[in-house]
Amino acid sequence: MTLLPWLVAAWLFAVGLYGLVTSRHYVHLVGCLTVCQSATYVLLLGIGYVHEAGPPVFYDHPPGTPAVDPVVQALVLTDIVVGAAVTALLLAIAIQVQRRRGTLDPQALRPLRPPPSAAE
Amino acid sequence: MSLAETLLPVAVLLPLGVATLLLALAHWLPPRLPKLVAILVALAVCAFCVLLARASLDGPVRHWFGGWTPDAAGRPGVVLGIGFQADPASAALAAFCGLLFAAAFVFAWGYFDTEHAHFHVLMLLFLAAMTGFCLTRDLFNLFVWFELMSVAAFALTAYPLGRSALEGAFNFTITNALASFLLLAGTGLLYARTGTFDFATMGAALARTGADPVLIAGFVLVAAALLTKAAILPFHLWLADAHAVAPSPVSVIFSGAMVSLALFGLAKLVAQVFPGNAEVMGLVHGLLHGLGLATALVAGLTAFAQRHLKRLLAFSTIAHMGIMLTALADGSGTATAGLLLYILGHGLTKGALFMAAGILLALRRSADEIVLYGRGRGLWAPALATGLGGLLLGGLPLGLMHGATGLMDLSAGVLDRVVVALASALTGAAVLRAAARIFLRASGVPGPELLAPTEREHEKPDRPLWLMALPALTLVALALVPPAAVRPFLGAAAARLRDPSLPPLALPEAGSLDLAPLLLTAVLFAFALLRRRAVRPLSRAVTRSERTGFRALQALHSGLVGDYVAWMAVGLALFALAAAVSAG
Repeated sequence: MTLLPWLVAAWLFAVGLYGLVTSRHYVHLVGCLTVCQSATYVLLLGIGYVHEAGPPVFYDHPPGTPAVDPVVQALVLTDIVVGAAVTALLLAIAIQVQRRRGTLDPQALRPLRPPPSAAE
Repeated sequence: MSLAETLLPVAVLLPLGVATLLLALAHWLPPRLPKLVAILVALAVCAFCVLLARASLDGPVRHWFGGWTPDAAGRPGVVLGIGFQADPASAALAAFCGLLFAAAFVFAWGYFDTEHAHFHVLMLLFLAAMTGFCLTRDLFNLFVWFELMSVAAFALTAYPLGRSALEGAFNFTITNALASFLLLAGTGLLYARTGTFDFATMGAALARTGADPVLIAGFVLVAAALLTKAAILPFHLWLADAHAVAPSPVSVIFSGAMVSLALFGLAKLVAQVFPGNAEVMGLVHGLLHGLGLATALVAGLTAFAQRHLKRLLAFSTIAHMGIMLTALADGSGTATAGLLLYILGHGLTKGALFMAAGILLALRRSADEIVLYGRGRGLWAPALATGLGGLLLGGLPLGLMHGATGLMDLSAGVLDRVVVALASALTGAAVLRAAARIFLRASGVPGPELLAPTEREHEKPDRPLWLMALPALTLVALALVPPAAVRPFLGAAAARLRDPSLPPLALPEAGSLDLAPLLLTAVLFAFALLRRRAVRPLSRAVTRSERTGFRALQALHSGLVGDYVAWMAVGLALFALAAAVSAG
């Protein structure tokens, strides 16, 4: 296996982290989180890849032909479903925040800390 | 398969099935029925897991889903099926979760608008995820329960849809979703080298392979994910936000069970999967031990400087997680027994304390100890729960937590014992100080806690006091059970967490009465009570430097999700550095 998928996964994760740290908008933040998540997909698919092997479907060729690892693909599929649920939840929270506070900038939104204007 | 083995998945399927049914039928059911059903289901899970724990004393209870036993693949060493396994410790912890959920359901009676029973559906989902997390013996399955637990927890935190609740839930979701990606990546790396997800098979494969950077990276990622959930420095920053803003009955579960369950998961992995890998065990004994000590100290100090009762309790939870991590890093049989007992004792105590805070939020419309000054007089039940809870956290030589500390001390060094005593004393004194202010109208002038973040909020007061006080007092009473009552079971549980075939560990009788933490608590408490305004130049200088120090601690907990993620990256770098040092 080449080094490329590992490097791509690490790079995607680093880029996503950078975005998370510097983001000034909740929706952008959710997007960065998804980038981090795709790093794990690349990593998993890279782990299961077998050179010059077909898909793990034995409908039209006999069992025993080389195939990529179907287990990691099942993992990725499971995680895509969970990831969609988390993203949906985060976006729903973002909508509620926008309704209540009129902003989505994390700098202006801090739990348990009253905004400067409302400080007593 | 025996009857227990066939029925093992019921512990998960019951809450999961009832949750779906409630969701489908909530429109037609009378509004009180879901509440009653939820309490009964939690109690049933508790009872079933107690039976499982008893049955597993004769040997582990295993269930392979769909009949995919390890032999089913026809190739030795290849495990395709997903298995559940109840050993005494796992089943007992699942039973404890059921008990805590039942108490939280009673406490939350009438709290929520239950027209559609959403709260109870989410909570039952949460319970199913926790029992699954306890009982699984498959790393990927563990990840799935971890995710399910997280998603239920995210939604429950945001449930009140208040300002702080939404923002706290957002920070919680981002950091913990990131943690679950780390867990998945780590799982993938471990699979790449061992070709299996089954704990036992993976452990055997790891013992054969020897040193390998991919395996260490896999462990680091898995550990970082579980430590994020368990709120260990520097991954802990989300916890104070989430626990302080979640509805009180949910905070009870968060602090009492969710975070310590993550630590239990890590303990189980370290005991069953990694004992054959010297590098990983080096990381556990070295880095994790240091992180535990640092967490206990930093969070203990921060807890002492809080004024919002739920935030104070949240930091105290982090400090106690640090104490538990030192026991995990120690790894000896008695330390593991101490860890298991500490999870129970701390969960019961912390659950009761959060309920007391919830009572104040409902009846006195605040959780700020300075705003509430003297306003809790006449509320004897929450006063009793808070006072006893504070004493138990601070090292009262009675009950489960003290027994657990005694077991942990058997193999702990001097430094460990000093840090544990100091952290316990700081958290205990902080709770007692708040109790004295609120219920007795007794205190000196506020110290650094005056600068701590707080909020005006309240919870719905539409239920009688006794209904809220009953579960709180029950939990405190259970935390006061003498540890001798559970000692034989604990010996078997600690030994079989590592290897199901080991004979029960003979735990020593209660050692010498260690009063040092309690004395330290008394000193700190007296210091808070007798504090006067700084008038003389010397005392003013001391106060000023004290404030500067605590302000730096508060600034660390900035409430900005970007900062939290940056600290998580720092934590990962720390792990990588430690791994490189130990390998090179």
